[in-house]
Amino acid sequence: MRNILTCAAFALALGSGPAFAQSGEITIWSWNVAASSLKATVAGFNKQFPDVKVTVEDLGNQQTFDKTLAGCAAGGAGLPDILSIENHESEIFWSQFPDCFVDLKTLGYTDEIAAKFPDFKRTELEVGGKAYAMPWDSGPVAMFYRRDFYEKAGVDPATIKSWDDFIAAGKKVMEANPGVTMTQADMNGDTEFFRMIANEQGCGYYSKDAQAITVNQPGCVTALEKVKALKDAGQLIPGTWDEKIQANTAGTVATQMYGGWYEGTIRSTSPDLAGKWGVYLMPSASADGPRAANLGGSSLAITSASQHKEAAWAYLNYTLGTNDGQVTMLKEFGLVPSLLTALDDPYVSQEQPFWGGQKVWVDILSTLPKVVPSRGTPFFSDADEIMVAVQLKYLNGGYPDAKSALDDAASQIASATSLPIAE
Amino acid sequence: MRLRTQTAYAFLTPYLLVFLAFWIWPIANSFWLSFLNTRSANWTFNPRVTWGRLLVDPAFANALWNTLIILVIQVPIMIALATVLATLLNSSMLKARGLFRFAFFAPVVVGEVAYAAVFRLMFNHEFGIINKMLAVASVPAIPWLSSPNAAMAVIIIAVTWRWAGYNAIIILAGLQSIPEDVYEAATLDGVSKTRQFFFITLPLLRPVIVLCVVISVIGTMQLFSEPFLITNRGGPGQATETLGLFLYRQAFGAFNFGYASAIAYTIAALAIVISLINLWLGRERE
Repeated sequence: MRNILTCAAFALALGSGPAFAQSGEITIWSWNVAASSLKATVAGFNKQFPDVKVTVEDLGNQQTFDKTLAGCAAGGAGLPDILSIENHESEIFWSQFPDCFVDLKTLGYTDEIAAKFPDFKRTELEVGGKAYAMPWDSGPVAMFYRRDFYEKAGVDPATIKSWDDFIAAGKKVMEANPGVTMTQADMNGDTEFFRMIANEQGCGYYSKDAQAITVNQPGCVTALEKVKALKDAGQLIPGTWDEKIQANTAGTVATQMYGGWYEGTIRSTSPDLAGKWGVYLMPSASADGPRAANLGGSSLAITSASQHKEAAWAYLNYTLGTNDGQVTMLKEFGLVPSLLTALDDPYVSQEQPFWGGQKVWVDILSTLPKVVPSRGTPFFSDADEIMVAVQLKYLNGGYPDAKSALDDAASQIASATSLPIAE
Repeated sequence: MRLRTQTAYAFLTPYLLVFLAFWIWPIANSFWLSFLNTRSANWTFNPRVTWGRLLVDPAFANALWNTLIILVIQVPIMIALATVLATLLNSSMLKARGLFRFAFFAPVVVGEVAYAAVFRLMFNHEFGIINKMLAVASVPAIPWLSSPNAAMAVIIIAVTWRWAGYNAIIILAGLQSIPEDVYEAATLDGVSKTRQFFFITLPLLRPVIVLCVVISVIGTMQLFSEPFLITNRGGPGQATETLGLFLYRQAFGAFNFGYASAIAYTIAALAIVISLINLWLGRERE
């Protein structure tokens, strides 16, 4: 430590900073818990880099997106050093404003460091030979369930392996617990269930090379069929983000399917229900099918407008590239690390008191390496808006079957994006 | 150019420069943009993906349909309501006239975000006062914000609440410009009050009502805040997505500036056409 300080002082005396002794002020734009978790890592970072002052500005999710758009359109004016960008909508920035961001490879983001992250997190960030951002958190999907409701119905979650098992279990749970619904999804304004199950079945809106539309492929057809089966069984009712939280606290829902980051939400919004919640893996299309998917997750990028790119890189490398940084965010705010070595951290294998002593992070994080990449592409929002409408129409009986619904979605996406539909 | 004219233009220059930079240039530039494929950094000339797409895009057709539904249902209801309100506000029997006039005008003064939040609460499925009142009348709870037709009704109710009073004040000004002696003559001839309203008041109000209709048509064509804030970005699904919202989504969600420009020009053209039809229908006839 003393050595580093001496070097830092030496470097300051010379008036220019070599890579190991950064100084200056860096600013980060982020939102909500994500912003708070970045703040939580600053203390650890400053132990290594005491001369870098980090300011995290919590703008809110939509504001960050809008101001990034405005700043990049204005050639980088007013942008901070580091930007938070959600993975699925990140490629729209790289494709529209490639010069707004620094290629992290020029700052020291080597292939060895990049290899410490799973492929599904890197697929959108490394485009055309450049690395525009570094993976931050991820959302390995899990089933968050009420132990007491399941127990009362005599259902052991370990036996739920397929969606058919889930529906059979749901029937028992709802019979044993009057007034309780098996699960909820925002079917009126989102496609979350469809995207999670499709990802699990290896299907997404677009092909991995982002050159073709794949939304009508078999995996997606299965996913949409499962959503309708759940709804038709009366076990899936509409619920927005807020309504789900209301149902959690009111005890009117037995299961929520979401990315792993929902752990922190349940823990902080339903503190009175400690010990009553548990976690199990998402069911698959068949009893031996894949059970890993991802929903959500973000990355951090450095702007070309930054005056302290080296210092910004040092912060990224510490916060995202070390167990120290990633596990701090997991502990404090439930942000799920995408750094694979974080799986080996002692905290991950601890029993979690809120979750009835279950080692939830072992269960959730063990699915990370199995997640199939599903690329957002620059056309994510085109596809998703179309899919919201098609899904709603299909659920209300507007199509003869899931395949024809998705064929319609594919042709609409084709007309919006000019991309071909994959064979 | 005469010296006086030159001096006038010299004084106008600062304004004209601002007008040029922030009005004329964007309007002209977005017209050019509407012919470009703006899907990635190198924009190329390709009107097929902007103007061509408008013709076949079901999402655009949906937004246009929603906007026209609001236009056809909401504008007539609101103008009729505003006319009745104006007549009542003009009544000589009304006490505390100033207070009432302010009260009906007040919704326009309330911030959009604040009133949208209140409407969301009022129409909440489980806890909203509207469904509580329906329950008292033994009507089952209506899922206002998650059923497509009910959500559309909420938008229409909200817009009507906000703008009916504003239009009433404009119509009130029109009422007060009708000379008193016309009514005196009619009363002397034994014409009933109701017949006076239909055969004197309404015909003389026509220019004012046409003005209100034109303003409302333009406002509805641009409708954005209510579906954005109250029905959560045009939900459920895209059941309340208006042209304004669709334009926003294309421009600032998908970064498709070319297509968004084409939509913007289409909205402007439609507003002009519908307004001209209104003016033609409401013209002074011999």
